[in-house]
Amino acid sequence: MKSALLLALLATSLVAGTAVAEVKPEEAIKYRQSGYGFMAWNMGRIKTNVEGGNFNKDEVVKAANAIQAIANSGMGALYLPGTDKGTGWEKTRAKPEMWTEKEKLGKAAMAFNKEANEMAKVAASGDAAAIGSQLGKLGGTCKGCHDDFKIKN
Amino acid sequence: MSDKRILVWDLPTRLFHWLLVAALLGAVITGQLGGGLIEWHGRFGLAIVGLVVFRLVWGFAGSTYARFAHFFPTPARVKAYLAGRWRGEGHNPLGALSVFALILLLTAQVLTGLFANDDITYVGPLFDLVDKALSNRLTGLHHRLSNLLIALVVLHIAAIAFYGHFRKKKLLKPMVTGWKSQAEAAGESARGGSLPAFVLAVLIAGAAVYGASGAWLPEPAPVPAVETPNW
Repeated sequence: MKSALLLALLATSLVAGTAVAEVKPEEAIKYRQSGYGFMAWNMGRIKTNVEGGNFNKDEVVKAANAIQAIANSGMGALYLPGTDKGTGWEKTRAKPEMWTEKEKLGKAAMAFNKEANEMAKVAASGDAAAIGSQLGKLGGTCKGCHDDFKIKN
Repeated sequence: MSDKRILVWDLPTRLFHWLLVAALLGAVITGQLGGGLIEWHGRFGLAIVGLVVFRLVWGFAGSTYARFAHFFPTPARVKAYLAGRWRGEGHNPLGALSVFALILLLTAQVLTGLFANDDITYVGPLFDLVDKALSNRLTGLHHRLSNLLIALVVLHIAAIAFYGHFRKKKLLKPMVTGWKSQAEAAGESARGGSLPAFVLAVLIAGAAVYGASGAWLPEPAPVPAVETPNW
C-alpha cells in the first residue's frame, strides 16, 4: 500500500521528466484508452466469475492483478498538457477539468489505486462474496472519476 | 361527519403513486452512489418500467380522475385555469402539465437506461441490442435527463406545499386516503376502474417489465470448451 502510494507520487512528480515528453499526444491518448479498455475486460472477468456460479479463483487473480498493475502504472503521466482534445482510438472523453482541478483528480485517482490494490488482495483470498463486494467498491471509485472528469456523450 | 366526501384517487392510482415514489427514490440514490449498488439501480428502473406502463393503461382504463382525457391540459383549459375560471376535480390543468411531463420524462429515462452502460461493469438489460457508440449516447442522455427529472420532482413537491400553504388546499391527504371532504370538493366521486381493468393493466405492465428485462434475449452461445493457453 505505502509503496504503491509512493510509486504513484513518484510517477506524478516525474510527469515533467524526459521519458514522458517523448510520447506524442495521439499516442498518449491511445495508451490511456487502451489502459481503460484492458481494465474493462478484467473488470468483466471478475464480474462473470462472481456472478456466474462457476467461480474460478485463478481467473479472478489474473484479472485483479492486471487491474492493480495498470492502476499502479502511473497513467497520470499520459495526461499531457493539451490532450484534453485529440483522438486516439477514438475522440478523447477527458474533461478539461482534469488539467485544472488536479487536487480533486488526484484524490479520485488515489481512491481508485487503493481499491485496486485491495482488489488484488481480496482476489488472492479466493473468497467469492468478498471479491464481489470489493468489485463494487472498486467500481465505485471508477465512477468517482467518471462523474467529474469524463465527458458524457 | 365524514360521510359527505368524494373519492378522488382510486386505490390503484394511489398505490402507483407511492410505489413510484419509493422506486424513484431508490433509483436516484443507488444511481448516485454507484459501486455495487448499480445492480439495484437497474432493478429499481425495471420496477419503474412496470409502474409507468401501468399508469399509461390506467390513464384509459382507470376511474374518472385517473383518466388522461379527464385532465388533458388543452390550451383552453390551461388558459381558463390561469384566469381563475377553471372549476373541477382531480389534477388542475397546470398540475396536469406537470403530470404529463413527469410521465414523459420517466418514460425517456427508463428507455435510455435500458440500453445504457456505465463504462465500468454495468450494462442495461437491453444493451446487447445496440452498439457501444449508441449506448454511450443514450447513457449521456440518461445522465442529463436525470437532472431534469429531479428538478421536476422538486417542483412537484414545492407546488403541493404552495397549494397547502397559500391556497389552503390539502393535496397530500387525498393521495393517501383517496377521499376529499365534500366541502373542499368540486365534483362527484370517481367511477370506473373495475377489477378486470386493474388486472388487465397489471398484466400489460408485467409484460412490459418482462420485455424490458431482456429475459427473452437469446442466451449467448455456450463457449466451446477450448483449452485456454497458459499465457
